[in-house]
Amino acid sequence: MKQVIVNPEKCVGCMQCMLACAAAHATSESLFAAVHETPKPRPRVHVGAGLFNQGFPNRCRHCDPAPCQLACLAGAIFRDAAAHTVFINPDRCINCASCAMACPYGVLRFHEEAAAPPGKTVAVKCDNCDARVARGQIPACAEVCKTGALVYDEMTHAMNEKTRQVARTMSSDAAAQGLPDTVALYNTLKQATMKAGAAIRR
Amino acid sequence: MKHLIIGNGIAGINAARAIREMDTSAAIFMVSDETFPPYSRPMISYVLEGSEPHEKLPLFAGNIYEDLDITPVLGHRVAHLDVKKKFVHLENGTDIDFQKLLIASGADARHIRVPGAELGNIFTMRTQKDVLDHLAAISLGIKNALVLGGGLVGFKAAHALLKRGIKVTMLITSAYPLAMQVDPTAGRMILKELQARGLSVKVGVSVSSFDGETRVKKACLDSGETLDCDLVIVGKGVDPSLGFIAENDIEIDYGILVDPYLCSSVSDIYAAGDAAESMDIARQKRWINAIWPEAAIQGRIAGYNMAGRKVACPGSLGRNVMRIFGLDVMTVGLANPDGADDLEIIQAGGEKAGVYRSLVFCRDILVGAVLVNQIEQGGILRAMIENRIPVRIPKAYLMSLHFDYSKLL
Repeated sequence: MKQVIVNPEKCVGCMQCMLACAAAHATSESLFAAVHETPKPRPRVHVGAGLFNQGFPNRCRHCDPAPCQLACLAGAIFRDAAAHTVFINPDRCINCASCAMACPYGVLRFHEEAAAPPGKTVAVKCDNCDARVARGQIPACAEVCKTGALVYDEMTHAMNEKTRQVARTMSSDAAAQGLPDTVALYNTLKQATMKAGAAIRR
Repeated sequence: MKHLIIGNGIAGINAARAIREMDTSAAIFMVSDETFPPYSRPMISYVLEGSEPHEKLPLFAGNIYEDLDITPVLGHRVAHLDVKKKFVHLENGTDIDFQKLLIASGADARHIRVPGAELGNIFTMRTQKDVLDHLAAISLGIKNALVLGGGLVGFKAAHALLKRGIKVTMLITSAYPLAMQVDPTAGRMILKELQARGLSVKVGVSVSSFDGETRVKKACLDSGETLDCDLVIVGKGVDPSLGFIAENDIEIDYGILVDPYLCSSVSDIYAAGDAAESMDIARQKRWINAIWPEAAIQGRIAGYNMAGRKVACPGSLGRNVMRIFGLDVMTVGLANPDGADDLEIIQAGGEKAGVYRSLVFCRDILVGAVLVNQIEQGGILRAMIENRIPVRIPKAYLMSLHFDYSKLL
């Protein structure tokens, strides 16, 4: 079964995944119409800035067993084993934030949502774009990602790919970690800027 | 294999689920005095405040006993446990034998023992039935409510009654509610928020008697003052329900002492939830963290061990998250340490900023946290406390409102 696989080293922090995610979860499923919707759709993937200002797309891991599911006071969080997805039932959610306290990755947000009862604040997180996948599309974040930081792939295939990349770094013709040259350069520049900034402040 | 589980709270239910996951043929008996289907105990305060209906309390659609092939024995308490002959004696006279026993009997609310305490409309708040009783009293019209105790139960009761527009007076011993859960800064923010919604607080006084005919009308305080009240909720804490265990049969401190596999001092007898006393991860000593998520996890782990799959419990961790009108409060571990000799406390924000956080470190290990507002990333801090991960980045980064998982990579 395919799933969204995160390659954090390839993230340049462009946040297109966030925009695509929000649009995909809008009633209209269109970016242009989405901005006029109430409640305004919000992303479920969150791009953070690391220590060197590198991007990191923080997405629900759909853990098994899921700590949020075990902690849910209302029995609103459940797992669809076939889809490898942890879902939140907005009708059962009581907005108690117990899931936020349980999640070790900080992926939960609380707001009104198109799919929730109108006016009700509920816990919201990634649903692996189940509606899109059911139509034969791939998750919005992976579809829009330009650098391969988010890809939709079979886990075994992605693991093999990773192994091959590591193996390649041992050869004389070391194209480092399968990272596109531009992305590698961009990350190096970011690190250099941060270090230079810190040196100047000192 | 015949398993017996005392208690149908979340610890008992999760143990049964874990046993069934491992062993499809084992016999599982479950004893409880509560006849209502297994429900979410923390949700009763949402029912009291009126934001969720009573019908939403059950945790499972359908009959969980049938689905898991559990033999329920409901409506009776265990009167006596015979650890040698391995059976329990119920209050109604029946005996149930077992090969493995889980004591997930939970805890009972402490009652207040003063003259007039038997009057009507004086309640505790522990079970769904308690809240139905509160609602029945409220439906007849309540003007002034009195809440005794500023702990979690007292706070939840007061918060719920205020949401219903009922005037509430709270009697507490500390200067602010939730003194066991939060530090003074967060405590003052919470107090202010509750006072703005109509809570009045009296510090350092207690009730010496209640007055009324059939129902409570007045409370007389030890300060000589009298308070008009037509509803009283007693939040004086809970005690583990262990009355059925004879002295010295099982090692008990305040709760049943358990090893990392949640086994008591007697082999084949396990304990989980509010009745179990395990190692507190933040304090590094034995403690009962009588909270629902801990009971949920312990029940599951106890169930695996009972079914023969060795799973260790890393210990328990106190934690709470509350939405208090306009404030969101999360507190984890040693949130308000006293005598902090080798502890370092870092604080930022406060009442004016509308956001506050306080982190407690023991050298490079995070051991406690209090967050007021912007609590979404609190789970990461909770995980760092629980796993005792040394903090390798500047501690100030954890304090930042922009802190997120990417800072740890």
